[in-house]
Amino acid sequence: MAYRSDHEIVPDHEILKLKEVNTLLDGSHITIDNLPKILESDPQCKKLGAKPGHVIKIHRSDNGHSYTYYRVVIEG
Amino acid sequence: MQAEIIKNVKFGIISPEKAKRLSVVKLSIPDTYNEDGYPIDGGLLDQRLGVIDPGLVCKTCGARAKSCPGHFGHIELVRPVIHSEFSKILYMLLQSTCGECHRVLLTDDEIHGLQDKSKKIIALEVEDLTDAEIADNAAEVDEKKGGKSVLKKIRSAKKCPHCGAPQTKIKFSSPTYFYMGDKKLKPDEIRDMLTGINNEDLRILGIDPDSSRPEWLILTYLLVPPVNVRPSITLESGERSEDDLTHKLVDIMRINQRLAQNINAGAPQIIIDDLWELLQYHVTAYFNNETSGIPPARHRSGRALKTLAQRLKGKEGRFRYNLSGKRVNYSARTVISVDPYINLDEVGVPYDIASRLTVPFYVTAWNLDKAKELLARTEYPMILNLISGDGKRKRVIDINHDELLAAVKPGDILERQLVDGDIVLFNRQPSLHRMSIMAHRVRVLPGKTFRINFCVTSPYNADFDGDEMNLHVPQTLEAQVEAKYLLAVQHQVFSPRDGEAVITNNEDGITGMYFLTKDETRLNKDEASYILGIGGIYELPEPDKDGMYRGKDIFSLLLPPKLNFETKTAGGMVRIVNGKLVEGVITKETYGKGNNKLLIKIGMEYGDEVLKQFLFLSSKLADAYVTFAGVTVGVKEYTTNNEIEKAREELLQNTFRLIDEKISQYKNGKLEPLIGYTRRESLERRIIVDLNLAREKAGDVLIRHIDPQNSAMQMARAGSRGSIFQYEQMSMFLGQQATLSGGRIKRGYYTRRVLPHIYEGDVRPSARGFVQTNYESGLSPIDLFMHAVGSRGSEVYKALLTARSGYLYRRLSNALQDLYIEKDFSVRDTANNVVQTSYGGDGMEPVATQFAKMAEKDKK
Repeated sequence: MAYRSDHEIVPDHEILKLKEVNTLLDGSHITIDNLPKILESDPQCKKLGAKPGHVIKIHRSDNGHSYTYYRVVIEG
Repeated sequence: MQAEIIKNVKFGIISPEKAKRLSVVKLSIPDTYNEDGYPIDGGLLDQRLGVIDPGLVCKTCGARAKSCPGHFGHIELVRPVIHSEFSKILYMLLQSTCGECHRVLLTDDEIHGLQDKSKKIIALEVEDLTDAEIADNAAEVDEKKGGKSVLKKIRSAKKCPHCGAPQTKIKFSSPTYFYMGDKKLKPDEIRDMLTGINNEDLRILGIDPDSSRPEWLILTYLLVPPVNVRPSITLESGERSEDDLTHKLVDIMRINQRLAQNINAGAPQIIIDDLWELLQYHVTAYFNNETSGIPPARHRSGRALKTLAQRLKGKEGRFRYNLSGKRVNYSARTVISVDPYINLDEVGVPYDIASRLTVPFYVTAWNLDKAKELLARTEYPMILNLISGDGKRKRVIDINHDELLAAVKPGDILERQLVDGDIVLFNRQPSLHRMSIMAHRVRVLPGKTFRINFCVTSPYNADFDGDEMNLHVPQTLEAQVEAKYLLAVQHQVFSPRDGEAVITNNEDGITGMYFLTKDETRLNKDEASYILGIGGIYELPEPDKDGMYRGKDIFSLLLPPKLNFETKTAGGMVRIVNGKLVEGVITKETYGKGNNKLLIKIGMEYGDEVLKQFLFLSSKLADAYVTFAGVTVGVKEYTTNNEIEKAREELLQNTFRLIDEKISQYKNGKLEPLIGYTRRESLERRIIVDLNLAREKAGDVLIRHIDPQNSAMQMARAGSRGSIFQYEQMSMFLGQQATLSGGRIKRGYYTRRVLPHIYEGDVRPSARGFVQTNYESGLSPIDLFMHAVGSRGSEVYKALLTARSGYLYRRLSNALQDLYIEKDFSVRDTANNVVQTSYGGDGMEPVATQFAKMAEKDKK
């Protein structure tokens, strides 16, 4: 099946810069491994060229509320 | 002591060498006690296996019963047997290896390619699947790798790729029979084959040879568990009764002994083989008496023996019964019943229970006098036990009363009987949400049942048809405080699911409020005083000029003085200005379940305590008024007059005519089909639309013609019980009976019709389950049948749905139960993994969300 990454229901994904990752993890006592995961083989990761260890920032929106979600890329 | 952290747990199979190291005694006599009632040495209760009598000393470790862990013994089987619980794995191994050289049936190249992927395939193999499924799954795994199924390849190998020997197909029949071609394989032959498999090949097949060599699954050295695993019970008559495991072990040893004798005597092979098979059966039953393919071993009474697997398995097994669920002290359980006169956060506790449950009283230097005063008491709120500083618990009885009174000192703990005002946890199973356990204040009452206010039945999902509930007494001050400030009923009014109130007035509580707050409700001084007195309010509102009191003003006394509130309901606007209800009637829409803007408003502006008190007082007042006013429902309410009868007849005739027209249009091919539907489907849909319309119109007819004072109608309007739809079913017509799939009933008799009384191909409403009679006038035979079809369908559906959704919910809540919200609003699991970066995606708490919506509305 064709996957359309530009479909309107697919939220925007972006790779977080290292500095941003550090600020994200700084305040909360979690490590990068505690973040939710996303597979390297995920179409969005492929599109962005994300490699394991990268953190993906996802801009979701739901009923007019928008919020961000973070996932760490893992092998697979 | 520093707590040790478990890094990993590894399961394996006990090797004969390890078993030998574990065993302290070889058991050879298939009996327990001798004539003197003394354990036989070398028997199944040999004293070296550990002690269970408190006085005795263990012959192996020298410890007493409390500290002796028990010691394993062993039986040496004269002929090996297969461990039946592993026969599926053995089958896989025999299939996958060469009968001659015992190498795995793959070429060296294939072995190499597989070395890291072998685990997946084994995982599939071990599951309870049929061969076809295994093949399917294996193919699936393989398809991802882009190759032919390895398992299939192994099985289809005709020749060993290593030694070139032709392969004979291995056959397996549950539980322990293996055949190579037509020849039966004996356990010792299987053992030889398994021993021949080298470690590398085992790893390919997903077995760790260091912890589990497959030949260890062929048993000659059978470990016998210590006596404290299978204690014997001495009955009152002095008769000894042995554990099921001991019985089974006796069986094994008896056959083992007979087998040995026969072999020594040089008995014919057939006899030896028979006995060998019998030995295999007993060992199989010893591991799992529910093994498929063997008859379960039975007691003399006919009861199946509980052997090793049965001890662990299932709801009553060790895991679910003893480890996941334990019995607790300081708890009570009894039937519940209603008491509208106790507050929402109270629970009526029968004296019999209150006098047995205890709350700890911690003696300190500062409350020593109070402690002595308590301890000195000899009736009801008195001290039952004294736990001294060193942890010794003494029962306070007449004999030691004075002694203990003199000895009590700071550091002791007194266990006091439960009294009014103590904090307890109250629970009803199934505990599906957090409101299933709430903290209540104790009210000691006469009687034998727990009493709760009617308003708190809904969070517990309780009724009083025999429901029982559990009560727990928190035993530390910390737990009591936590219960009081987090779990108390008033803190649970709003559900964390959507922020709506789950604790509300129901049924009579709503009927009463509706009648009380109607425009025309006016009471004289006596009546008003009586109603308010029941609510515990001893002031009267301003009377009208004629000295009468308006119901709305009486209700207003319950409201916080400065409350301003406005909402739109089906019955018009409800307006509260400065704590006075000036317009509108209070119905379920204002303060009932699911739609409780008034409760949200009060909860938001005045807090839990005021809200609880409002609910309590309004329920008392409503009950008082509904009793005073008298609301009755009987057949009279549903008996229709000629006028309605005529309207009903007309409505039905019109609908049927409309449908008949459509049917004839269809027959003439003139009916315009709906987009996406066939002509027949279009007709069916059109008919259903017309019938639904008829039902709606029936409701309108009722509303138009029924006396508004009709109490059933009033209750429907108040939202307390019953609906217009139910009224229709009783007074107008039952309407369309549906099948599980949602369509009209159309089959049942041979040919495409429901009953032989109906013409084939008749699609008119009456032929397809439209019931035009009602409960009041009675159903015609065909209508009754149609109704029964529909009822049965919905009954079956209901049963299926509750079972399914209940289990679904259980799995969901078990999976999510340890999640919590961190300080940064992210949702974490116990390993500190982030599940959601912000709770619910937006970090909002549902109750607060409801409050915020209300606040926003107020601003406008």
